[in-house]
Amino acid sequence: MSIVSLRNIEKYYGEYHALRDVSVDIAQGEFFSLLGPSGCGKTTLLRTIAGFEDVTSGEVAIAGQEMAGVPANRRPTNMVFQSYAIFPHLSVAKNVAFGLRRRADIPKQSRATLVEDALNMVGLDGYGARRAHALSGGQRQRVALARALILKPKVLLLDEPLSALDKKMREQMQSELRRLQRHVGITFILVTHDQEEALTMSDRIAVMFEGRIAQMGSPEALYRRPETRAVAEFIGMMTFLEGRAASGTVEVEGLGRAEIAAPEGAVAVGVRPETLTLLAPGETAARETAGTVADRAYYGDMTYYDIALPGTDTRLTVSMKNRLSRAVLEPGTEVRLGWEPDALLVYAT
Amino acid sequence: MTLRAYVIAYLLFLYAPIALLPLFAFNDSTIIAFPLDAFTTRWFAELWTVEALHAALWNSLLIAVVSTVLATLLGLAAARAAAKYRFPGKRGLMGMIMLPLILPEIIVAVSLLVVVIQVLGWPLSRWTIVAAHTLICIPFSIAILNGAFQNLDASLEEAAVDLGENRWSAFRLVTVPLIAPGIVASLLVGFTISLDEFIIAFFLSGAEPTLPVYIWGLLRFPARLPVVMALGTLLVLASILLLVLAEIMRRRGVARAGLKDKGGFL
Repeated sequence: MSIVSLRNIEKYYGEYHALRDVSVDIAQGEFFSLLGPSGCGKTTLLRTIAGFEDVTSGEVAIAGQEMAGVPANRRPTNMVFQSYAIFPHLSVAKNVAFGLRRRADIPKQSRATLVEDALNMVGLDGYGARRAHALSGGQRQRVALARALILKPKVLLLDEPLSALDKKMREQMQSELRRLQRHVGITFILVTHDQEEALTMSDRIAVMFEGRIAQMGSPEALYRRPETRAVAEFIGMMTFLEGRAASGTVEVEGLGRAEIAAPEGAVAVGVRPETLTLLAPGETAARETAGTVADRAYYGDMTYYDIALPGTDTRLTVSMKNRLSRAVLEPGTEVRLGWEPDALLVYAT
Repeated sequence: MTLRAYVIAYLLFLYAPIALLPLFAFNDSTIIAFPLDAFTTRWFAELWTVEALHAALWNSLLIAVVSTVLATLLGLAAARAAAKYRFPGKRGLMGMIMLPLILPEIIVAVSLLVVVIQVLGWPLSRWTIVAAHTLICIPFSIAILNGAFQNLDASLEEAAVDLGENRWSAFRLVTVPLIAPGIVASLLVGFTISLDEFIIAFFLSGAEPTLPVYIWGLLRFPARLPVVMALGTLLVLASILLLVLAEIMRRRGVARAGLKDKGGFL
């Protein structure tokens, strides 16, 4: 059974059409991400689930219950805000215990233990007496998590929870959030504009553009088979080459001919950097094309090459894993590019 | 050297008149002039016996407290709306509310008198002054509280609602403690403005004069002048006390919210 069910959600702010016919079913225990550029409606959709925004039309149901007319404080959801919204005038323990005030079902004497457990769970044991404003960004985030999870919500909503953290902290929190989600078994709905965040943490991702869900699926499905060029451009790195489809083959500028079924006419052909190889002398591939290294960016573990191809101004990006036995190629080096027709993504233009 | 002289002259200009108050309040003569006579406390003793003064003081305190509380409540509502919501005509509306700040008080006084007497037909009383003082205090309250709300993360109240509180209790539990310094400042400023406001009170007071109006009436009797000095001395003391109190409150508020102290009014 789905824990969150959204049916044909429409949302207008005056003339502005913020959400367009959004329908999603999110399963119990799922880590679900709403991914999209800013202004795509992902935060609005999250706030609709939380009860901070009304829908213009459509249905929101949580745990089988219709949520129309149910205010945010009576919904079985809790939220981690982008700013964390830690109450600065309260201690860490009081922040975490804040939501217990209204929970008659939790006996008073067990509350201190619950707070301790919650702090333990997020790795903040012993921080209870601290003032909230004396915490670092990462610690605030943990307090926000503890404060929400202590109430055992049916759904935890996370609004860009990692955007305020630095890169190292962000990566650490990614795996920690995932671990926490598995541990508590609560459904997480995450809003993010960062595709890497969405890919690493989610069971399922909905990519949103202009108030509409463009594509929904597992991280792998989204990355491997983006259904539209917009989704392909948004997720991962991708070079687009011009192509022309005719009778079961696509003639790709710069690369050559590939046997791919596509509607006839002009097409855009997307190529992921990691599906290409720069062939070492003696190495062979299914398809080979000659090119020249135009530029390169060295990342330590990887090197990204921009390859100039004959017959096109578009530079093809190729990523190569760095090995001790493989020299980093200098711009100007002639190379043979190995590629597979199956890895090409063809979109009508 | 010239700078030091300038600063001394500056401070003299500011504080010499006020310093004269206690000087003549303890001077045993009805004539306000140098050289000073013997030391006395009889003017202060006399303060206790003047019934009309007590009535005026009571009027002033009552008016000041009621109007500053009203102005702060109304200012709170307006400042919160301005901080939280976007609506058409917001800027114009806020500008309209702030207008009494720059309107000459004499204009406000005359037009209020016309409204109260001619249009509404109410008798003049303390309550007409309360209404007028609320009006002139509101812009100050809004200006102060606007600042308090500006430092407030809008999602704090939402977080409280998300954690089960209703909108009112979220406001009480989260917003009020965080803007408390602003509320105190607004109450304090409103109280001070109302307490020494003369023009409007003079026009609207009827048979219930406020302290400034009563003092103005006393000036016709030179023999009573030292009593006024004694009263003034007490008022200066009370003001200093109030200011110190407000500053202590403000520093506490800043420390509690974990902000950096950027200096208050002291």
